[in-house]
Parts: sequence; C-alpha cells; structure tokens
Amino acid sequence: MSERRRAELDGGRSGLSAAGGGTIRGRRPMELDAFRPALDRWLEDHETALAPEYEGLGTLDEQMAQLAKVKRLAYDEGWMRWGWPERVGGLGGSSLLRAYLGEALTIRGLVDPNGYSMLEVLGPTMIDYARPELAAAMFPRLLRGDETWCQGFSEPGTGSNLASLACRATRTDDGWCISGQKVWTSYAQYADRCVLLTRTGAPESAHRGITALFIDMASPGITVRPLGTMHGGAEFCEVFFDEVTVPFDRTLGDEGQGWSVAMDLLPFERSTALWHRGAFLRRRLEDLLSTVPVGALTPGEVGEVFQQLYALRARSRATQHRLATGERLGPETSVDKILLATAEQSLFDLVAAGLGDDVLLGDDLSDERWRTQFLYSRAATIYGGSAEIQRNIVARRLLDLGADQ
Amino acid sequence: MMDREELELFRASLRQAIAGQTGKALDDALDELGWRDALASDRRAAVSTLFELQGSANAASSALDLVLAKSMNVDAAVVLPPLGRVDPPGEVTGESVSVHGLGTAALERGDKAVVACEDAVVVVDTKDLTLRPVGGIDPSIELVEVSGDRVCSTTQPASIWPGAVAAGQLALAHELVGASRATLQLAREHAVERIQFGRPIAAFQAVRHRMADSLVAIEAASAALDAAWEDGSALTAGLAKAIAGRSARTVARHCQQVLAGIGFTAEHPFHRYLRRTLVLDGLLGDTRSLTHQLGEDLFKTRRLPSVLPL
Repeated sequence: MSERRRAELDGGRSGLSAAGGGTIRGRRPMELDAFRPALDRWLEDHETALAPEYEGLGTLDEQMAQLAKVKRLAYDEGWMRWGWPERVGGLGGSSLLRAYLGEALTIRGLVDPNGYSMLEVLGPTMIDYARPELAAAMFPRLLRGDETWCQGFSEPGTGSNLASLACRATRTDDGWCISGQKVWTSYAQYADRCVLLTRTGAPESAHRGITALFIDMASPGITVRPLGTMHGGAEFCEVFFDEVTVPFDRTLGDEGQGWSVAMDLLPFERSTALWHRGAFLRRRLEDLLSTVPVGALTPGEVGEVFQQLYALRARSRATQHRLATGERLGPETSVDKILLATAEQSLFDLVAAGLGDDVLLGDDLSDERWRTQFLYSRAATIYGGSAEIQRNIVARRLLDLGADQ
Repeated sequence: MMDREELELFRASLRQAIAGQTGKALDDALDELGWRDALASDRRAAVSTLFELQGSANAASSALDLVLAKSMNVDAAVVLPPLGRVDPPGEVTGESVSVHGLGTAALERGDKAVVACEDAVVVVDTKDLTLRPVGGIDPSIELVEVSGDRVCSTTQPASIWPGAVAAGQLALAHELVGASRATLQLAREHAVERIQFGRPIAAFQAVRHRMADSLVAIEAASAALDAAWEDGSALTAGLAKAIAGRSARTVARHCQQVLAGIGFTAEHPFHRYLRRTLVLDGLLGDTRSLTHQLGEDLFKTRRLPSVLPL
C-alpha cells in the first residue's frame, strides 16, 4: 500500500521531499527549529490523507485503525523515526522531535493521545532493557503502526501497590511459564506484544522478585476480555495467562530486575505522554471557548483553567528539555502528573458548567465527544498512579518526609 | 550574563546581605554589592536571585522600585498602582496629575517620582505628594501610600508602562516563590519533629498530602517563571504572577494547617510569611483580578494565545 499511497499523497512528487525541497533523510542532525515548520507543512499538505474517515470520536476499532494509518504515513516520510536511536530503526536526533510530533498530531485531532502515547510509555524502556537484536527487530513495527503494544502491570490485587504483584513466571525447559491475571491493560485486545511484569521470586519477595518480559499476545494460553467503562470506550482489558510459554530471550533486563524496569518506565508515563495529553487538553479548551454560549462561564473560571493548563505546559516542557539532554527522569515527574490530573478535571468541570445541556442531554457527535471526555477525565486522578500515590511519591522522595505509617 | 561561578558568588553574597538586614540597611547593602549593575547586565539572574532570597528570608528592600525604574529607563522612584491593580496609578488633567497608588521606601528617599498615566508617564516632585507609611497587615514590608494632585513635567510615552509592570510582576512572583519555599520548609521541620500518637506527624498521609500539594504548587509557579523569562512577553509575566500568587496562598493554607497551634502563635515565624504573601499577591495585580482579566481577554478572541512552543 505504501508506494501507491505515497504517490497519491504527494501527487507525484518525491515521497522524501520536505521543507525547502531538502530531503529529511538527508539532513542530519535534524533540529527542532527545522523539524517544526517542515512537519507542520507536511501535515497541512496531507491533511486529507491523514484525516480520520469517521466523524466524531469514532469507535475504538476506528480509532486504532486511524492511529495505525497516521503512524504509517508519518513513518514512511521519516517523521515518526526522528528522535529514536538508529539501532532500533530511528533516525536519531533529539527526543524533542518526538514530543513535537505527538503534539502536532494531537492538536490536529489526527490521533487519540492515549493510544499514540503508548509508544512513548513503552518504547524507551523496552529499547533499554531488551536484547539489542530483539529491540531492533520489534521496535520499528511499533513505530510504523504495524503493531500495537500493551503494558501488563496492574493486577486485580495489585493496583497502587505494584510490588505486591502475583502473576507468576516459572522457569521450565522451554522458557518461562506464565500463569496469572492482569487488569486495566490498555488496548490489550489490539496488542501484538506486551511488556509484562511477573513474579519470579518467592511470593513475599516484593520488589526484589519481579521480572519483566516482552511477550507475544498471540501465544497460546492468553485470553483478553475488554472491560466496559463508564465513558463508553473499552480500551482497558483483563488479560488471563494460563501456562503461557515465553522464551528466556524475551526477558527484559535480568531475572529479578523487573522493578528497575518498572521504575524506569513509570516516569515515561509522566513525561512525553503528558506533553501530548496537555496539548490535547489545550485544544479542547479552545474548542470550548469557541462554542460556549455568552454568559455561561465567568472570565475568572476560564482564566483559571487556562492558567492551570499553562502551568502544566511550562512544567511538562521543562521535563521534555531535561529528557532531551539525557537527564534521567524520576520521582519529580509525579509533579507533572498531579498538575495534569488536576488541570484535566478542572477543564472538564468547566466544560460541564459551560455546556451542561449538551454534555448531559445532547445526542449529536459533538455532545457525545464532550460527554465521553468528561467521563474519562474522572479517571485522571486514578490511572497511571493515583493522585494519592503521586502525592506519596512527592512526600517521600521530594520532600524527604520519611516512610508513611 | 553571569557564568555559573559568578552566579554562585553573587548568590552567596546576596544571601549574606539578606540574612542580617532588612529595609534601609538591606538597600545600602545591595548598593554596596553592586546589585544595580547586576540588574543592568543580567536582569534574570539579578532579579530571580535577590527576590527569591528576599522572599525566603522575609526581608524587605526597595529593589522592586529599581526593577521598574530600570525597565522604564528612569532615574526616580516609581509609583505603583493601588493594591490588586495593574493600570497606571495616575491621571493627567491639563498640566497636573492626580495620583493614587503605592510605593516602596525609595519613594520617601528620592526627590522625584515617576507616575504612569493612561497616555503618558510623567515626573512629579516627591515633596508635592502626600506619602503615608502603610501599617496594615504587614508593616515590615515598608510600603507607602501615595496620593496627590500636582503639576507634572517631563512626559514619556505610556507604552513603557506595561513592560515595567511585567518586570515587577516577575520580581514579585520570585519573591512569592521564595516565601512559599520557606513556609514549606517551616512546615516540613515541624512535621518531622512533632510527635503525636507515637510517630512524627509527617507519617500521616493527610499531613503528607498537604505538603505534597504545597510543593506541586511551588513547582508550578517556578516553571511558569522560567517560562516567562524565556518568553519575555507581558502575557507570560502576568501568568507567572497570577500562578505564583495562587500557589503562595495554597502553600500558606496547607502549611498553616500542618503547623497548627505553634504556627498560630506570634512567636513562630509563619505569620510573617502569611502576611507578606497576602501583600505581595496584591502588588501589581492580584491573582483574582489578573485571572479575571485573562478570562476577559480570552473571551474577546475566543482563541488561546499561542505561547510557549516546545
């Protein structure tokens, strides 16, 4: 499809042409200042091809197909590859390029930020901990939109207390044998692979006895059951493992190193992914502002939500720049998550206040979108480490208040 | 621009100056240290360093006056708008100006005062103005209330005022952040030392979460400040001031609760930070009015300003 599609997209021009006629693949290193206008122009030029084929939110199936389409088109032009290491199919350059790409796709409504950001959540850690050959073989598939990956961390008995996880991986002659259950696994029903945390030590080994694996979701013994949620989508799933065999060479890091993998990965949930989500919220505030009836909201309440989103942007932007200089992210990203969750709920409270009739009673596509997003925003203080867990991290790690009781 | 080493030296000498003195003595010490020169050569370093330290030490100086004067390129004390406001404090009628505003201690010491009006910035003789030292909730900040109806001279374009407001807002936002950090530090010290039910109160989640929220508020303000310096516009300076004001009130509320009884005594320094925070929030636009104005501006265009690109 790609050659034909590319020819269509470019109207016969070279698929490699970018800003000023230079080929992006020939320009290294790509700097953000050059990347930004070139990408913007490409997005503008290919607006029709990139746009969703559905109106409104679309079904989850449609959203996932849209995500794959956009990734593929952006990959073929090189955009998707900038900011990722060359050893895994990237073109190198700063991680800021990735942050900008996701922002640009999100604010144009081309991708759902959650689905898109799985790349940012799982990618960096998988690349760091997988065998180099495995990372090189697998990662480009995620980048190109050929595959969907999911993150198997939470379990029915393990929500906030991640170190208590019980999904068991046992050594056998054929590899790891996995039995247990995960829950809240986003996009598992679409996923080709899963970054899975398993218990390999004794049940009471806590964070010491955890091992991370990179598994094929098509393996025999895996059952996925999507969970209906209050916002109407079914992106979260239960995943059941019944004696699933996973080769040893799919271990991420060493046996017993799973906690480090998790601790490296979790800050990524709170960095580039949040930058993308912040861009989405900003877009929705602008949508609200352009449609809200005169007098429905006070200037003060609108101003305050703008300030919250701005403070989030300022903080998250600084995090992006730290990441780009190679700084290792840690507990300070909990500040970003708290700002995001607070701002997201404030924004959709404002939506409910300003467009109450539409959100509560409306049935057209726009109402449905507002309603779905309003309901989803209720989870902002729950998913990705609850508001309480983030505050515990801030208290213990940033304020040095010692252990809680 | 100061390099890293110079900045460290500068910060150390400022810290020393601020540790032991406030008011006139601190102003003299700043003169001696060459803070004015620093303001001219590296405004961000000079302002952020001094005002955070000043806020943190609960000290007062008239450096805010220098920040505004420098921005307007005038050599006289500057009349600030009344509390909560950013619009010019003067109104010109014919050849005279009617003034109603506030000032730092610099206003009492100088011969000339600069008064921004709707259409021009004018200079008046200080002796012609009525100056009343402000007691109020925080006498130690040493503000003066300015009023008068006097002949004025030497006009400058009114366009220099918004930049001066923005420069002052950044300084005040840094001072608020400094005060907030010190307040949180007081609460932290108390929470880890105060034992109840056999353990430090810092072990209780309700206490920890108030302090975590305080730090989040401070970091948000601090990020908004960094962004404003980088961006350089009046819009982002106002945002930083509004966010810092709200943040400081949040921190004061949570930390007062953590400090509980001891924080309510006059012997504990908490009340001085609370008092200072309330007044600093009011200078050059309080959070409430800045936020209201921002909302009105957003409703005018019904678009978000495009700020802070990656």
